[in-house]
Amino acid sequence: MSKDTGQTRKKKALRYEKGELIIKQGDYGISIYKIVSGEVKIFRTFNGVEVPLANLGRGNIIGEMAFLNKDADVRSASARALEDTELEVFHPRELIDKYAQTSVALKIIIDQSLSRLLRINRFMDQLAVKKREEMSHPKGKEDSWSSTREFYRKEVDIVCQYKPAHSVKVSSALLTGRIKDISMSGIGLEVSPGNETATGHEVGDSFHIDAVLPNGQELNVTAEIVSVKKQPGKIRLGMQFKELPDYYGAKKTLGFFLMPT
Amino acid sequence: MHPALHSYIVEETTYSDGEVIIEEGSRGSWIYVILEGSAKVKKRTPKGMITIDILREGEVFGEMVFLEGGKSPRSASIIAAEGQVRVGLLDTQRLIDDYEAVPSELKTLIASLMLKLRNTTSKVCSIIVAK
Repeated sequence: MSKDTGQTRKKKALRYEKGELIIKQGDYGISIYKIVSGEVKIFRTFNGVEVPLANLGRGNIIGEMAFLNKDADVRSASARALEDTELEVFHPRELIDKYAQTSVALKIIIDQSLSRLLRINRFMDQLAVKKREEMSHPKGKEDSWSSTREFYRKEVDIVCQYKPAHSVKVSSALLTGRIKDISMSGIGLEVSPGNETATGHEVGDSFHIDAVLPNGQELNVTAEIVSVKKQPGKIRLGMQFKELPDYYGAKKTLGFFLMPT
Repeated sequence: MHPALHSYIVEETTYSDGEVIIEEGSRGSWIYVILEGSAKVKKRTPKGMITIDILREGEVFGEMVFLEGGKSPRSASIIAAEGQVRVGLLDTQRLIDDYEAVPSELKTLIASLMLKLRNTTSKVCSIIVAK
């Protein structure tokens, strides 16, 4: 503690090795870091896509956004050491009171700047996702799914029946699953591992799916598996609609169902 | 608008559609607040002007130069959008006095926020232009 500068807060030195995570997006925390040496990458993760925001170096500050943000004390982005990095960290306990004493007009202006930055960062998310979609190849289908599914996706829990559409050889017995989320582009389908005995669930496999939406409308669609996530006791399939033939009225049915109420 | 901000307004001006309120790269220290209407935040790029944000009633603009210490040029242009926009000019000296009262540690944090805003804005522009 150095009295002469009037600082009573404790600063702590921290060292991070190359590749180590310093701050994780979504975590609680208002500690503030100053980079003493090294380089730090600031990035957001949105729908599995990493969105780089900035590379910061010596003298730069990280973590001040969560401190200045009166609406949230979670980290809006992650920070990772790009090389061995030395940081000075402090908890802004005393600064909270000092900030409270700042002129209201000034705080309004700072709040607005902060919201603008958060807004631009979210816009960067959208741009990164778009770029990923444009770059997606057959192998990238999974990414395309995971990146588009957030839009207009509705969380649901609808029992559905499904059967393989990709091969005539496979038993066409109806299987049961649960639609956990739904959008205009696809669904998240949860199935029991027991269903594996009747049919495989591989990326690229197509299924006919029949369900009744909570609004009473019937939904008949064909969808292709783009991602498979095995969890204890269940398999979560990311599925993309192959087509939503209008003569089935599927598009209309879904459109109405997904409309914000 | 917050009454605290309202008391800082020293003058009102009206701009018509398309009129430039602040020009990117110019020097100036006025800080404004939108009283009525909206304004576009635009940046020059090799592919022409692009709109990066739209400001609405109650939003302050022109504050970056001041919060960065008053030395930098205007980082973007502000252009009146959709009909008339009525803006209030804020008492810059009073805001400077407020800012001077802020402890230096807090100033450092505010400056850091502004730096990020400036850099991210440039970055978003370069991504849009690269497309």
